Amino acid sequence: MSAVMTAEAPPHSSARRKARPGRGAFWLIAPALVLIGVFLVLPYLNIIAMSLRPTAVGAPYGAGFTLGNYAHALGDGYILGVLADTLLLGATTVPICLLLGYPVAYHLARTRSRWGSLLYVLVLSPLLVGVVVRSFGWLILLSGNGVINRVLIDLGLVETGLQLMNNRLGVTVALVHVFLPFMILPLVGVIQSIDPTLEQAARSLGASRLKVFWRLVLPMSWPGIQAGTILVFVLTLSAYVTPVMLGGAQVKTMSVLVVQNLIDNFQWPAGAAQALVLSACGMVAVWVYARLTGRFMKGLQ
Amino acid sequence: MRTKRKPLASRVADAIGLAYVGAVYVFLLLPIAVIVLMSLNAGEFLTFPPQGISLRWFGALFANEAFMRAIGTSLQVAAIATVCSTVIGVAGALYVVRHATRLREGLRMLLMLPLMLPEILTAIALLFFLYASGVGTRTMFGLLVGHVLVTLPYVFTNVASSLYNQDGSLEQAARSLGASPWRAFVRVTLPLIKPGIITGALFAFVISFDLFNMSLLLKGIGMTTLPLQLFDYLRWDFDPTAAAVSTVSIVVTLVAVVWVDRTVGLRSLRFG
Repeated sequence: MSAVMTAEAPPHSSARRKARPGRGAFWLIAPALVLIGVFLVLPYLNIIAMSLRPTAVGAPYGAGFTLGNYAHALGDGYILGVLADTLLLGATTVPICLLLGYPVAYHLARTRSRWGSLLYVLVLSPLLVGVVVRSFGWLILLSGNGVINRVLIDLGLVETGLQLMNNRLGVTVALVHVFLPFMILPLVGVIQSIDPTLEQAARSLGASRLKVFWRLVLPMSWPGIQAGTILVFVLTLSAYVTPVMLGGAQVKTMSVLVVQNLIDNFQWPAGAAQALVLSACGMVAVWVYARLTGRFMKGLQ
Repeated sequence: MRTKRKPLASRVADAIGLAYVGAVYVFLLLPIAVIVLMSLNAGEFLTFPPQGISLRWFGALFANEAFMRAIGTSLQVAAIATVCSTVIGVAGALYVVRHATRLREGLRMLLMLPLMLPEILTAIALLFFLYASGVGTRTMFGLLVGHVLVTLPYVFTNVASSLYNQDGSLEQAARSLGASPWRAFVRVTLPLIKPGIITGALFAFVISFDLFNMSLLLKGIGMTTLPLQLFDYLRWDFDPTAAAVSTVSIVVTLVAVVWVDRTVGLRSLRFG
């Protein structure tokens, strides 16, 4: 039994058999490294090379290298407009997700209800049901003859159906629904790690609920807010299905434009350059946001 | 604990808060509930309110060869991708938690990378790479690689967190009592991290079953998965068959989630 308790230096084990951390077990990580190295890192290097290829007729790309695709992506008013629209979509979806998600995350983290598990499934369910199915649900709800318009007309609130989709409104509503779980889940984790006795202590010392929230809970849940907002922003920028299904021809995002370039127009270098411009914009936005909020977080301490 | 009644203002605030939270839960559930309701519609169209209850659209679905083939493909791809990403993810988690020293954080980040990069950009990059390397999309290979990449982080993070929560000295104890490394792993560590593996694998399956962007760009020639088929169908038709097929996919997910909750508990689930 003593051999078990002093596991660091087991007296009876043969030195040869002792598990050595490190090199001997390298084969465990090798498949993951091969997968990610060959099928993620190399393709990303390749897509950068592709974005520098000239366009060609009758083939996806031509020989040699050029910066023309970037010049076109950054100089074309239409593409810049789509890029601005995409960024704006992210910038509106994120705060709505935060406003809707934070109270739910707090409730989920603190509830002792026996329905807690069920509510957790409810929050998870949109995440696990595919994005096409969820967007289809919004299609049924928001279309001209859809459920919401039917109810509004039957209640006599409107004469004719409202235009709820094929515009930014429909896309934003569906995007919020699709990405809300990605806001809630990191927040639940962080809020659960805040000791509830801290809140009780602050309350017993005379702080109002609002003050407890503002001075204690909110600052302490900041890492979760940051993770959730960045996640939702990045996901929104690269969303494809929802803008196509609920935006129709009216709302065009960069992802839609890029996929069109690749699949319909067969213009790989142009599509690659546009995809990379979008990703670069997203990364810059996230970096600026992290810098600003980092300063804000320091100010709170 | 507290015997004193809360002041009125506080109770009103509680009620408003609860109503707000309840409204968000309804918002989350609404589109899914509406699909299930529509799939049971006896009428010809996706009209509201439904004109009676019927299973006719499920009949239409089972008679629709394209949908049935797509469901078959999706199940097949999800099953293969789940097995691959579970094996790779469990091994990777074992290395990162038990053996990696200086490199631990870096390796963890690397294995989570597919989750942090935009799926559509990864899909595009993979498409170009498959063509550049001459593999192309004639076979299911590219599609499977894409699905394994996307689902790997879910397996890895769930298994890694159950490994962190479990005492590594138990395995060392088994080793010191003469068990081979394999035996010690199978008899001691594996049963202890089983919840993490089950959760990871099930989420890998569910996510792969519903994956769209990867499948859109990497599907083999003449191949289609369920989300792609539904997406295509909705471009031309807007009838309750689409609701029926969506309901089938919702039920598949629900069964998986409830099963995980019953066996290991959903709260063991980790994201990122």
